[in-house]
Amino acid sequence: MIEALPIFLDALSFVLILVLVASGLVIVFGMMGIINLAHGELFLLGAYTVVVAQGLGAPFWLAAALAPLVVGLAGLAIELLLVRFVVHRPLDTILATWGLSIAIKQIVVLAFGPGSHSVAVPIDGAISVGGFTYPAYRIVLMVVATAVIAGAGYVLVRTRMGLLARAVIARPDTSANLGINTGRVTQVSFAVGAGLAGLAGALVAPLISVDPQMGLGFLVPAFLAILVGGAGSMTGLVAGGSLVGGLDSLLGGWVSPVLAQITVFVLAILVIRLRPGGLFPGRGRRP
Amino acid sequence: MLEFNNIQAGYGQLPVLRGVSLAIEKGTVLALMGRNGMGKTTLCKACNGLLETTAGSMRVDGEDVTGMPAFKIARRGLATVPQGRDVFEDFTVDENLCLGGPVPGAIYDWFPALAPLRHRMAGTLSGGEQQMVAIGRALARKPKVLLLDEPSEGLQPSVIHEMGVVLRRVVDDVGLTILLVEQHIELVQALAGSVAFLANGVIAEQVPVAVLSDTLNDAEGPVHRHLCI
Amino acid sequence: MNRLTPSFSAATAAVVFVALALVPVLDSGYWTGQATRYVLFGMFAMSLSLLWGRAGLLAFGHAVFFGIGGYGMASLTMGLFGDGTVWALLARPWVALPVSVAGAGLAAAALGWFLFLGRGVSGAYLAIITLSVAVIVEQAVRGVYALGGDNGLVGVPALGAWAANPFDPVPMFYAVLVTAVVVYVGLDLLLRSRVGALLTAVSTNPDRLGHFGYSVFAVRLGAFVLGAAIAGLAGAMFVATDGFASPSLIGFGLSAEVLIWVALGGRSIVLAAFLGAVAVRLAEAFLSGLLGDFWLLALGLVFMGSVVLLPQGLIATPMLWLNNRLGQGSKSKSRAAPGPANEGMV
Repeated sequence: MIEALPIFLDALSFVLILVLVASGLVIVFGMMGIINLAHGELFLLGAYTVVVAQGLGAPFWLAAALAPLVVGLAGLAIELLLVRFVVHRPLDTILATWGLSIAIKQIVVLAFGPGSHSVAVPIDGAISVGGFTYPAYRIVLMVVATAVIAGAGYVLVRTRMGLLARAVIARPDTSANLGINTGRVTQVSFAVGAGLAGLAGALVAPLISVDPQMGLGFLVPAFLAILVGGAGSMTGLVAGGSLVGGLDSLLGGWVSPVLAQITVFVLAILVIRLRPGGLFPGRGRRP
Repeated sequence: MLEFNNIQAGYGQLPVLRGVSLAIEKGTVLALMGRNGMGKTTLCKACNGLLETTAGSMRVDGEDVTGMPAFKIARRGLATVPQGRDVFEDFTVDENLCLGGPVPGAIYDWFPALAPLRHRMAGTLSGGEQQMVAIGRALARKPKVLLLDEPSEGLQPSVIHEMGVVLRRVVDDVGLTILLVEQHIELVQALAGSVAFLANGVIAEQVPVAVLSDTLNDAEGPVHRHLCI
Repeated sequence: MNRLTPSFSAATAAVVFVALALVPVLDSGYWTGQATRYVLFGMFAMSLSLLWGRAGLLAFGHAVFFGIGGYGMASLTMGLFGDGTVWALLARPWVALPVSVAGAGLAAAALGWFLFLGRGVSGAYLAIITLSVAVIVEQAVRGVYALGGDNGLVGVPALGAWAANPFDPVPMFYAVLVTAVVVYVGLDLLLRSRVGALLTAVSTNPDRLGHFGYSVFAVRLGAFVLGAAIAGLAGAMFVATDGFASPSLIGFGLSAEVLIWVALGGRSIVLAAFLGAVAVRLAEAFLSGLLGDFWLLALGLVFMGSVVLLPQGLIATPMLWLNNRLGQGSKSKSRAAPGPANEGMV
């Protein structure tokens, strides 16, 4: 039993990162009804921010704190310069953001080369409790991710900003008639979603190989998490992330990564058939 | 206080409003009536900025708000109670009310029935209670002009009557200007000072409410001419 | 009007296909071989245009069906399933070809059954589901040893002895070109018929179509399967031309590429989609060497610009403009009722 614990902890850290990544997608989909296919590249930019910082000799935690700001600004730029013009054409937004993701990937290739970079793990060593040991950095990552997710949830549910955001998601027209600047709320939310993805990328950078193709590997599970959990509520996001991330990670470790992905995918389309809104559809956009 | 000058608007290639001109004096209630499909809701949307007008101008308290985005028109003093109430079901009554701004205590004076329901989810309320939330939410903004789109829809007659009483009190207390889009004649008679009829995309006729009441059953009266087939 | 008149359409198609038929006259070696691949990609693009441009289904994983056709063809003609008499029969290229196409169609029917039944999934969800399918299928295929893993299947036989000379790509080129013309004409006729109107209806106003007694599900599924079958046909012939089936033909990369071709060419006009594929591949052949890593960046930026500014497509927009100019200049009585899809419509 104790031997299985590291596998569960690995799955948990994957789930937390997935929820961070998926939350940005959900915010944008809930608020604007669009899918941002460049979201994986926002994750990527967070990881590369850490690479750059490492190259400049800056400490990891500074970079990890800067990454959400940098990527959040990038998100704002994307909203202002691209998304704003196609937001009323949801299918074209998917394509336009896909084109952007190609462009961003290529810029990264041009700047850093197509190969992978490695980021040094900022906290060496392992924590031993009882009979087993587990890498210390992973524990810290999980704590940080949980704190951020909880913080985001708190802001959403208990602050005025969160109230305004939820209002715009639920009824954008009525919100506008109440004097809420829905355009500004949407922009800020887009940037926040981007920042969360950037933070996820920065946190994960020491654990995986940082290369220009890494975005897609997290984007697909994030999509599946949203399909399964539902795009309308935090509960859905956490549930979807847990199911998809957990299955993917556990099956991937025990059986094979490919079989894990196939299983998760089959689960997702079964859920879609039976409950098109996901397990917790909430009251937002219908899929 | 609220002025439309030759407003034209429509959906795509379909023109609906073909030149609507209306003026509502401060502190008065104007009812807008018309058959279904004549453009009453379209006028509401053009008024509060949800629909772009193709021609004409609009003023709130003398200020030209033509073409402004909806949230700016709202901030200039126009509050809307939309058709179907549109309360935020997953928010509490309090949260609904304070979405527009800090809630004046007067709201709970006007709607005493809402006071015990402050922390209830708006989605669990009855139609009449939701309507009070929707109106209260609009009034919490301390608006200069209140736009009500078919507030009686889906409500039972006793509730409609109560709503009329409350709105009458608000108008008297605060001197609010109201544009009331309505089908329900009794509510119009209770609240309005004058009545305008929208037909074929223009204001066909405007009469004081007394004339409406006097000619209610006249085949030649405005009600029959504009509202019955 | 955003459809081409039948005469304009036929004229431009004739120009395009006659021009292509003359390629072997210019260079019967390398460029004929390249042109064969371009035409096959063009066929693939046409199938996506049917799906996306007419039926409104944005499929991000369309290469899966191209790849099923390809791998089906490869594994059947290479006898990977065994030596029995049935398999020997299926190994004959002219039998393997329709079987592979049918395989692609069946796979589409299965996936489509999940996706379109009931209310069906929205455009956005369809896109991300099909994207996920492509990523997962490619990984799965790479993991299967029998299918050659990462290296794919090498040594796929040609369609017949007439095409088996590796130094003479001309016969295969004409076979492919004729197939493309047949597919084009078939699609054009189909889209001008009542079926075309149904597809337009299902993409613009599905609820109303249901009220008329048509099954939105059946129309979507039919379009999806037909699109997959044509893609499978292109894939099967591609593999028979190349002699080689690789995982890159079944995955997300090619799915994204074909989307770019169709978006740049013109999603609603089948010929424009075809030309989009040919044009982008040609441009890539000349520019990617020149621009190196900047080629993909340029492509991404042009793609973004096209989606935002010229959503009808960079080739379709001038085609439509020309078509409308010529229509206005004509003195014939206007048979165009105000509305887009009126050819042959009830």
